[in-house]
Amino acid sequence: MAQNQSHTRRSVLDSLGEEIVRIIAPVSICMILVVLLVSILNNPNDSSSASSSISSIATMAYSETTSDSSWDKFLGALLNSLAFVAIVTVITFVLVLLFYLRCTKFLKLYMGFSSFLVLGFLGGEIALFIIEDYAIPIDCITFFLVLFNFSVVGVLAVFMSKMAIVVTQGYLVLIGMLVAYWFTMLPEWTTWVLLVAMSLYDLAAVLLPVGPLRLLVELAISRDEEIPALVYEARPIMNYDDLDPRSGVTQRRVWRDSRRIDDSSLNNYESNSMHEDPSVRESHQVGSEEGQMYATLPLQAARLTPGFEPVISRSHGNNSTVDRNLVRAEEGHVLETNDDSQLSAPLIDHGRNVQLHQREGDHDDDDAVPTSSESLMLEGIGLGSSGAIKLGLGDFIFYSVLVGRAAMYDYMTVYACYLAIIAGLGITLMLLALYQKALPALPVSVMLGVLFYFLTRFLLEEFVVQCSLNLLMF
Amino acid sequence: MEASQGQNPNLNLNPISVGNSLPSSVPLWPTIDGPLGLSEEDALSYARKFYKFGFALLPLLWAVNCFYFWPVLRHAHSFPRIRRYVVKSAVGFSVFAALLCSWALTFAIGGERLFGSIWDQLVMYNLADRLGLTGWS
Repeated sequence: MAQNQSHTRRSVLDSLGEEIVRIIAPVSICMILVVLLVSILNNPNDSSSASSSISSIATMAYSETTSDSSWDKFLGALLNSLAFVAIVTVITFVLVLLFYLRCTKFLKLYMGFSSFLVLGFLGGEIALFIIEDYAIPIDCITFFLVLFNFSVVGVLAVFMSKMAIVVTQGYLVLIGMLVAYWFTMLPEWTTWVLLVAMSLYDLAAVLLPVGPLRLLVELAISRDEEIPALVYEARPIMNYDDLDPRSGVTQRRVWRDSRRIDDSSLNNYESNSMHEDPSVRESHQVGSEEGQMYATLPLQAARLTPGFEPVISRSHGNNSTVDRNLVRAEEGHVLETNDDSQLSAPLIDHGRNVQLHQREGDHDDDDAVPTSSESLMLEGIGLGSSGAIKLGLGDFIFYSVLVGRAAMYDYMTVYACYLAIIAGLGITLMLLALYQKALPALPVSVMLGVLFYFLTRFLLEEFVVQCSLNLLMF
Repeated sequence: MEASQGQNPNLNLNPISVGNSLPSSVPLWPTIDGPLGLSEEDALSYARKFYKFGFALLPLLWAVNCFYFWPVLRHAHSFPRIRRYVVKSAVGFSVFAALLCSWALTFAIGGERLFGSIWDQLVMYNLADRLGLTGWS
């Protein structure tokens, strides 16, 4: 058909805008939800919540009080952040070790349990805050029933390989929102120093040859396995004109589908989602993983609640000329529909590296370059496909923490930080397209965000307030 | 032509583009995700599992079932095997939601006048205070 032929040369530019929007939209939604939560729950008149800080792993070195001097606060925040980053590093190395030793079952069970706890406990806690603040007359039966439903369906949505895309995406955004709100309850100085520290750690862990995330990625690549992680994957752009009648169901794998029957291959404890999904190398991948969430449980014990990420990788062949992602010469992997993928829930380190792994696949070219150089070596066939951009949940969380903390000061800082973060995300995507390898997504956005926050707070606000007071503008 | 009988369950793996002679009331894919979703066999097992697990006090799972298989629900004569489970899930969800809403509204609006002292014991914010559920943050 002439119609088909006219669409065969779709360039990457046709869908680039839409793909970027499909990743920026959920990030923005998560940030807006956290700002809303912060606005409705953090009443500045409520002194008890403002001055008290939660005791958790992140504040174990030092608990900030309002009476300390600035230098003491800064030192305390530095100690807290260093302790946190050290713990995250240790845990990531443990994850790499576990991935190396292929401990699958235990990890899966643990991850499922902890994700249920996160959704149930953190979500319930925040719901209780809202109920108490606004005296909503809900009874305990209804409350517990709704909470139970919410958390069980959330665990299923995040772990099942083929749940409705909207439901999965929605729950991932909600998980990011809950954890981010939790983190905004840290003391102020600690939050800022922690953000900077985590972005530096992200940079180191992904780019240094000895970094744990890089080790994890290389391990996954060498074994031809996927690293499962909590990753938000945008819905891929469907080019309906090019649908191959033979292609059947679009291959969409949430969990790594181990083509060799190796049940340990899925258990990737590593939170860094490196999206080295061999079967979907063509897909645009933005990986970041989400680290363990340290949440204080009712018993005042700092507990490690691992986050887990299913790697959602989608690839679909949308060119009838090449049966793309689904044919691999060395693996003999043919068009498969959802087969039973093993579930693996890797632990994700907090604030791990965000790896943006975007593949600029040309949809129709046979010589489309896979994203990473490693996949070039493994594949042997360069297949292009329109995958989707993936962004790890750790990025969602830390961006939202930054914006939430900015919301605690004023909305002006929120606008400035939001723009800075989106700009940073755009820059990171461009770098990803340029370098074609795993990149950390935290550093650029967080550094820009922190810079803009302090500039706005100390310089812009003065200017705007003085102009308004003198009826000059605004 | 065979292509027009897209509803034949045995051929549902054939996503011929919708532009040809298929009647508009016949969906090709049972799930709301279309070609990104499930094939019919998998869809049947998912629908059945969602339906059965919903009995464990999980009406939200029934709602997700209906949402996920919305094309099946909407087009009255498509995918008969899946449709059974989806319709039963929809019925179950509506009944459960009606019961829950009526109970919650009765509780909220009736208040102490209706329930007496039990109301204070059942309402969530009192319970949270008594159990100290929010005290540890």
